[in-house]
Amino acid sequence: MESFYFSAGDHDLFAWLHEPAGRQANLGVVVCKPFGFESLCGHLSLRKFAEAAAALGVPALRVDYLGTGDSPEIEPQADQIDIWTRDVVAAVAELRRRTGVERVCLVGVRLGALLAARAARELEGVAGLFVVAPVLNGKRYLTELRTTRLAALMGVPDVVADPRFGGDIEAANPGLMEFTGYPLSAASIATLTPLKITPADTPAGAQWSIVDRADLPLAKDFGASLAAAGVPTGYTALPGFVEMCLVSPQYSVVPLPMVQVLREFLQGLLGAAPLPAGGAERVPKSAIRGEGGAVVSLPGDSADSRLTERPVCFGTEAQLFGIVTEPAQGEANRRAVIFPNTGTDFHMGASRMYVTLARMWARRGYVVLRMDFAGIGDSNTRPGRPDNDLFPPAALDDLRAGLKFIRDRYGVQEVTLCGLCSGGYHSLRAAAAGLDVQRILMVNPQNFFWKEGSPPDEGWKVSEAVRNPGIYRQKVGSLRAWKRLLTGEVSLWRIARVYTLRALLSLELFLRDAARSLHIRLPQDLGWELEDITRRGIHVAFVFSAGELGISLLKLQAGSSLRRLGDRFRMHVIEGADHTFSRSAARSLMAKTLTQELTAGPAVSSTGDTANRSVGDSLRPKEFQLFTGMVHAESTSKNALQRTSSSEY
Amino acid sequence: MSVRVTVQSMFELVAKEQKRQLLPLTDDMLLLNSGLDSLSLALIVARLEDSVGFDPFATIERFPVTFGDFVKLYENHPQ
Repeated sequence: MESFYFSAGDHDLFAWLHEPAGRQANLGVVVCKPFGFESLCGHLSLRKFAEAAAALGVPALRVDYLGTGDSPEIEPQADQIDIWTRDVVAAVAELRRRTGVERVCLVGVRLGALLAARAARELEGVAGLFVVAPVLNGKRYLTELRTTRLAALMGVPDVVADPRFGGDIEAANPGLMEFTGYPLSAASIATLTPLKITPADTPAGAQWSIVDRADLPLAKDFGASLAAAGVPTGYTALPGFVEMCLVSPQYSVVPLPMVQVLREFLQGLLGAAPLPAGGAERVPKSAIRGEGGAVVSLPGDSADSRLTERPVCFGTEAQLFGIVTEPAQGEANRRAVIFPNTGTDFHMGASRMYVTLARMWARRGYVVLRMDFAGIGDSNTRPGRPDNDLFPPAALDDLRAGLKFIRDRYGVQEVTLCGLCSGGYHSLRAAAAGLDVQRILMVNPQNFFWKEGSPPDEGWKVSEAVRNPGIYRQKVGSLRAWKRLLTGEVSLWRIARVYTLRALLSLELFLRDAARSLHIRLPQDLGWELEDITRRGIHVAFVFSAGELGISLLKLQAGSSLRRLGDRFRMHVIEGADHTFSRSAARSLMAKTLTQELTAGPAVSSTGDTANRSVGDSLRPKEFQLFTGMVHAESTSKNALQRTSSSEY
Repeated sequence: MSVRVTVQSMFELVAKEQKRQLLPLTDDMLLLNSGLDSLSLALIVARLEDSVGFDPFATIERFPVTFGDFVKLYENHPQ
């Protein structure tokens, strides 16, 4: 499969083309992805749909609509629905230009299905529409999105955003709504509200295949109305949509029965005999290609400061994929940032934050690589390893390959690793393992050690042990709480487990601190590791959302070492933010904090040389002082780790 | 089946699907601390619409704070 940018009229788009290894049919597929979180979560499944098509001889193109994934930005007031519909039309033209196919099948998931149906009206040669859990009614879809938004706003305090770092996009654009980190403009909402897919949307000669949700079969009537209108239609309701698009991405599962339905549908369009059931038990990943002339120019702050974005492949054992954002030509200082994956989110990151940060920092002179570990996103999978590996054991090898690539290609002297959640964990592991990095910026890490096979939510047991005793103490005088305990509404066993674990953790903390004072190094000692890392001159910064588990874990596992880390260690707590900074206002504070940590100095390379660093967009001295003043290690306060209000920014 | 039981069953089903640890569903349980995230809650609302035939969230401006408030939205909604 090959990645590239192509021209879609007045803008460029990023796409992947999955070409058949053998003979090519005169039929191609364009995959129309869903919106927002569903697109992040369903990324691997959409890749599998495309690979299954290519395996049948049907070339398939996956496209990122403008303002999504790796494509350039979109104006916040623009009508996304209209632009994205035109993007689907442009993707079909690009598929035809590159492969020569005449007939196309549009594969649409959720909102992508609605876009596909709209685009089909403007296209000729549409042989089929394959839709999964289609959005048939724009108004109902918006109601669902609004409910998600209302739930996400529950109990979240307002924060004062920083407009220089993206700001609060809802406040800045009246009518725009942000849904779990993904915006829809007022114009898009107005366009989407009255939209419905009807049988009349079917292009002449086209067939439909509808894969409905077994848990919420909302497309059944639509399937029946198509059939009644004489349109050749297949309808099936299958389980697996929730696991494909609506779970935390690390739990995402490729819906193989849906892949099989697609194969059978394409076989039907090709006029060949259907494949036997079970033929899609495993969909192999194809070789990946990037680079070549695949670059896109992104507008910078001025006409002569355009950024360049380039898909790249690197690594030897596994084929790894990433996107490099290059600063404008003539940048003298060679500094780079690498973003490892957040969980199993592909390289755009949750709420597309890695794309935003990469472009922001490239404007300040940094070369930025957003990379996928093997088995995640668009990288290939190591033989014998599963896809969607949350903590791949070879992640350090992959990071080493990323570092080598960025140093060899760009002559970089100073490298920062920056990651959210498990991306932070991998950054820490890389520094602890002695990889040649100068800074690690960790956002909301939820664990600092990991044993393969542990459940992903292992850390929450520790969290309960840290937090719950305080809650129990508050309720000890509550008659209602005692009533719930005595009637079995509250589990006595759970409380006992929490207190036992709490006692064990306190004992561990005490023993580790005692061992440290005797200079005895125990295994898995976070405190020793952080002391080692900072002693080697590496700048370490943690950024947490208020209430994050990692805050307690850091205190528990690093213990007294936090007092000895000096000024190369910083920690920040941002109020009003959730784990993935899904609100733009909180995201702007995170971006500001990370940017200031990235450019704070002086940075000293791990070889002991003072790195040459000039900040492209320097902070004003007063502002910087305020910033450093809010930084707090344990040594600066009686309170273990203080909470910093966003208003202090 | 009463509305309360329907709602309760849906919370339990979605929590299991999302591999989330659901706190005991008492009326005073804060939804924020229930163990479910916003996507899970939206999924519950969408499925309940299919099940009970209406969506009380279409017209409200603020999400209910407790599980009891959530149930009342359905119990008090004109059928």
